[in-house]
Amino acid sequence: MSKETFEEALAQLEEVVKRLEDESVGLEEALKLFERGVKLARRCRTQLAGVERRVEQLLAEAAEGEEGATAPFAPEEG
Amino acid sequence: MSARVFGVGELVREVNAALAGTFGEVWVKGELSGVKVAGSGHRYFQLKDAEGTLSCAMWAARADRLRYKLADGVAVLLRGTLEVYPQRGSLQIIVIEVRPEGKGELQLAFEQMKAKLEAEGLFAAARKRPLPALPQRLGLVTSSSGAAVRDVLKVLSRWEHLSVLLYPVRVQGKGAEGEIARAVRYLGRYGEVDVVLLVRGGGSLEDLWAFNEEIVARAIATCSVPVISGVGHETDFTIADFVADVRAATPTQAAEIVVQRLEEQERRVEDGAAAVHLSIERRLERARLRLHALEGSRGLARLEQRLKELNLRLPRTESLRQRLRSLVGSRHRRLEGASAALFHWPVRFGAPRRRELVTVRVAVAVERLRSLVRRRGLELGARERALEALSPWRVLERGYSITAREGTADTPIKDAAGVAPGERVVTTLARGALYSLVTGRAGEQGELFETRGSSAEQTNEAGRTPKPEPRGPGRQGREP
Repeated sequence: MSKETFEEALAQLEEVVKRLEDESVGLEEALKLFERGVKLARRCRTQLAGVERRVEQLLAEAAEGEEGATAPFAPEEG
Repeated sequence: MSARVFGVGELVREVNAALAGTFGEVWVKGELSGVKVAGSGHRYFQLKDAEGTLSCAMWAARADRLRYKLADGVAVLLRGTLEVYPQRGSLQIIVIEVRPEGKGELQLAFEQMKAKLEAEGLFAAARKRPLPALPQRLGLVTSSSGAAVRDVLKVLSRWEHLSVLLYPVRVQGKGAEGEIARAVRYLGRYGEVDVVLLVRGGGSLEDLWAFNEEIVARAIATCSVPVISGVGHETDFTIADFVADVRAATPTQAAEIVVQRLEEQERRVEDGAAAVHLSIERRLERARLRLHALEGSRGLARLEQRLKELNLRLPRTESLRQRLRSLVGSRHRRLEGASAALFHWPVRFGAPRRRELVTVRVAVAVERLRSLVRRRGLELGARERALEALSPWRVLERGYSITAREGTADTPIKDAAGVAPGERVVTTLARGALYSLVTGRAGEQGELFETRGSSAEQTNEAGRTPKPEPRGPGRQGREP
């Protein structure tokens, strides 16, 4: 899932909330919106947790189309 | 009068020697004007004040070492030697050193760079790129040792889902600006990062100088992802800060911006999710309230009471139904066996027409039996069990016996008074029977009331005195 999708999903979620808070929206539509809101929130949460925790330092620069050499990094105490 | 006549060049030399002897090195203050850079790289300019003007020359080797740019209008304090330029015969100062007046040269250099890049539009708000919605992959440009990297990583550790790629660089000293610029460009191009953090801990203007260099500013401006700068302390501003898409006051602050963005996004998601749930709950609550209002009417209250009763009864009804079903089932099987036998009867003995008639009759009878069974199912079950418990055979097993006159075995004797001595009786036991001749009688409770003394001729082989008959078997009166 791309970054845009997170932003889109979040914007849609907030739109769903706005619609749900509109008193003129009927119960049946509200239930549909609810279901959709729950799905969107789940998608956003997945995205928020989408990157694994990692701290590395670059050892050598990459050439075009290659990956640079890296190693785990932890700062010295002090 | 004989005057000394000089050659022009000779006189200039003499004058220069006198100037050197008299003045040596001089400090002069004034304002720069008409600054020109010759093809050779030497700088030529005028030093002016309200009252005069002096021509100045600064050789390229010296001028190139200046951090700032010699520019018109700059008030300076300069050091140099006076000399007359022989070819033109004009007085000039050969400049050794130029110091900006009233501020440090670094300050001046900073102001000049700032003015220059600002004029180019590098600091324009319109150029600033917004931070990505989810800055989860970070490129970090700083020294791998020192407080800055520690501070940054400490703050970043608050967010679980975040990766950091550190490009270690020197952050001060000669050549640091080149490393920094290269790192920023590299991470933007190859680092696969969402954002670059360019940070350095506090220090003097001199220490932070690399971040004021043009090469760094250009690298930031052309980086392919947004750059957050956090250099020095709150009060320190560097050119890098002005060019960066987001300026943080300190390295810690730079990391905070990232983490807070992620936390804010999470909060938005959770707020949204909560609002979705809340609004549905509110709607349901409203529906409940409406229902309560309706429940106020008596008809509905009665209906509700009735529903409650039915609900209570439901489990009992269910188990009853099940019992009934199993009872009816077993009787069905029996009835079907019986009706099957009936069906066969006309086949063997009757004509086809007759068979049909019989079939119909049998079917009707079976159906009647079935409905009877259905109605009486439970009752029958209970009675069947009672019957079984009361069966005389079960009673006989417990040691009781049934006595009757010979020939009327299906009428048990219940009263001794009804039997005369000399009569023959049959006593039925659980296994087998005894034939006896009555020799005497006793009253109720075994009390003798007649011919007590007469000799008993009972042929009771078990040697047991017959016990009074229990009520049960006597009442049954049926053939066991």
